[in-house]
Amino acid sequence: MSRQAFVFGYAGQGSSLVAGLKSNQFKIHIIETSEDRCRRARADGFLDVVMMDILNDNELNSLDIDPDDHIVCVMEDEHLNVFLTLSLRSLFPDTNIVAISDSIYTTQKLKMAGASKVIDIYKISANRIHNILNKPVATKLLDSFLLNKGDISYREIHIPNDSFLDGLMVDEVDFSKYGILLVGLIDMELSHKFIFTTTSHIEHKLDTGDVMVCIGRDDDVDRFEKLIKPIKVEQEEVCIK
Amino acid sequence: MFSGLIVRFAFWLHGSGRYEKVKTLFRDNLSNSNSKYKKYVDSLMIFLILTSVGILVYEVRNSVPEWMDFYDIYIVSILFFIEYILRLWVDSDAHTVIVNDYNECQFLHKPFVLSISMKKIFKHKISYMLSPSAIVDLLAILPAYRPLSILRIFVLFRVFKLLRYTRSISHFIDVLSSKRFELYTLLFLLVFIVFTAGIAIYVFEETSNSSIETLFDAFYWAMVTISTVGYGDISPVTDQGKAISMVIITSGIVIISFATSIIVSAFSEKLDELKENRIIEDVNKNKTFLVICGYGQLAKMFLRQEENMGTSYVVIDKDPMRVKQAIKDGYRAINDDASRYEVISKFNVSYSQVTVLCLTNSDVENIYIALNAKSLSRKIKVVARATNSDMKKKFELAGVDHIITPSGVANVMLNTAISQPAMYNAIYAILTGKDVANIDEIHTYECNKIIGLPISAIDFKSHKMLFLGIQRGVDGDFVFNPDKNIIIENDDILLVMGLKVSIEYFRQLYARGVSV
Repeated sequence: MSRQAFVFGYAGQGSSLVAGLKSNQFKIHIIETSEDRCRRARADGFLDVVMMDILNDNELNSLDIDPDDHIVCVMEDEHLNVFLTLSLRSLFPDTNIVAISDSIYTTQKLKMAGASKVIDIYKISANRIHNILNKPVATKLLDSFLLNKGDISYREIHIPNDSFLDGLMVDEVDFSKYGILLVGLIDMELSHKFIFTTTSHIEHKLDTGDVMVCIGRDDDVDRFEKLIKPIKVEQEEVCIK
Repeated sequence: MFSGLIVRFAFWLHGSGRYEKVKTLFRDNLSNSNSKYKKYVDSLMIFLILTSVGILVYEVRNSVPEWMDFYDIYIVSILFFIEYILRLWVDSDAHTVIVNDYNECQFLHKPFVLSISMKKIFKHKISYMLSPSAIVDLLAILPAYRPLSILRIFVLFRVFKLLRYTRSISHFIDVLSSKRFELYTLLFLLVFIVFTAGIAIYVFEETSNSSIETLFDAFYWAMVTISTVGYGDISPVTDQGKAISMVIITSGIVIISFATSIIVSAFSEKLDELKENRIIEDVNKNKTFLVICGYGQLAKMFLRQEENMGTSYVVIDKDPMRVKQAIKDGYRAINDDASRYEVISKFNVSYSQVTVLCLTNSDVENIYIALNAKSLSRKIKVVARATNSDMKKKFELAGVDHIITPSGVANVMLNTAISQPAMYNAIYAILTGKDVANIDEIHTYECNKIIGLPISAIDFKSHKMLFLGIQRGVDGDFVFNPDKNIIIENDDILLVMGLKVSIEYFRQLYARGVSV
């Protein structure tokens, strides 16, 4: 995979976040403002560490960032983080920018500055406390998403060309038969917005290119993903077997 | 022989669990402010006091019907008497004194003398009877005896008795007693001036002033003048007397302003403490409540999400600035160190289910608070925040029930955001509990009409709900997406996703049992 992730900031939150990213087979670039942290990043095993003045647009522009790449803003100083997000958005209008926020006020500012996604680290934790106190069963399920406890996870599944799902109405498919549940989908015919099955008022037709979000046991989801691929591929598989 | 019987009786009481239970019950309801029923006992006593005082005051100029007299003499006084006896009983354990003394004598091979133990018991009881509140209690019984009308004045003691049952007045007395030294000094000064001025005016004016006949008149004049009340019934007529008046009036103003400032400063010093005590008392009345330690971003976010918590939580923070901020944000917060044993032990652990949330920024602090809470009672549930997953093991060792790692959560979300961006918003909505993706539990006790139905018989889709799974029994396993033919049993919990309104409507429907 040639996709790259540019991570701005390697302090506190940043360092533990990047450690979590390593496994994901991205080419990781770390950009820092302090020599100390650059050294620490290198010591932690990251090869591509650059020190630069992030307030300078020319320096930022020199980075080789494509629209397909991802930018992660985790500067320790929240003012700097907002400013950086704004600069990067103006320089790279189509790139996915993920910013980390630690308060509700910063979240709003980061969104206004043009971050594609803002992760509010405390909001999810606060909700988890709420669930622990009030909904213990829901906590069990959600913890399996969050902490990789148990084997139930969520996944986005793109409907491929010539799949048997193409053209079917959502109601006509019994997903639970495959051991999975359809949480919602992006119906490309209508909009690019995600629609939860529990909130939609109309019937949705599944088409090639639609994105479904399913939850289920890992092996069930794997099997389902294989199953919806065109029959041709399946036949090939059978032959191989 | 007699002493042998007493000792045997004392041992029997000592071993009797039921006696201990009954005594604890009375003790709790009379004097333990955390007890559930104490407020009812207090309200009853306040009612008795107010009605009996009302009757006695009414009686001064009117004749009262017989039943009122009966109520006042028998019911109120007898209840007061019973209360007095009960308080005397629960104040100390007589049988323990005998048992301890007897055991000690056995150990030392010394003959046991009952009278020594009795003396000890008597001393305990007398010291209780001589305490101010016990004296007030005793005197409050007296007005019932009608033949001696002088006893009516003891009705005042019934009013004093109110002090026992009303918190604000006892707080007021606490505050004043904290400034005991200053107030005594001032009182001494007051007595000194009244005394000197009284003697002086008596000496100068006893002959020339017709209204000053005795030394008592002189003291009365001095007191009325120094308090700046000045009735004017006695006024100085000689120049010397007027000079004394001027001095005494000036010192009166000084004393009054001093007294005021002492009382005000006592209150301002104690005000925060009083408020905090009130918050703790309020929170202790709840059956379940939360103690949130640390007012940081996570606590803020959590409190913002939890509406309608009422008085069932309290925020504790070491930093006065953060406490100020919390109070400004409208939360019930106190400034204290939750890692101290005394602080956590203020909470009513024996009667309520307490959950402690350790949400400070420091792992060391959070572990310490968790251990502190668990050492007080294993019953306390602890949810703690850890900075990273390496710390988890330590928290588990400390006995923490649930561990929250905001950075771990952020990691999961970040991975989702860049590897599966299309579904990021959906998952974010689910994990933050937004209404569009609200995951909720349906308990069979609130929807008893679903018991006995197979899952396939419930059309979740038409209710705009997504059925996720079921937990069999209260502590059973959670089954994700189970076989649709299984029958819902008592104590099962269904997990569904849907808008709050959809789920609420579903609950109503199946609680009422309308066929669907």
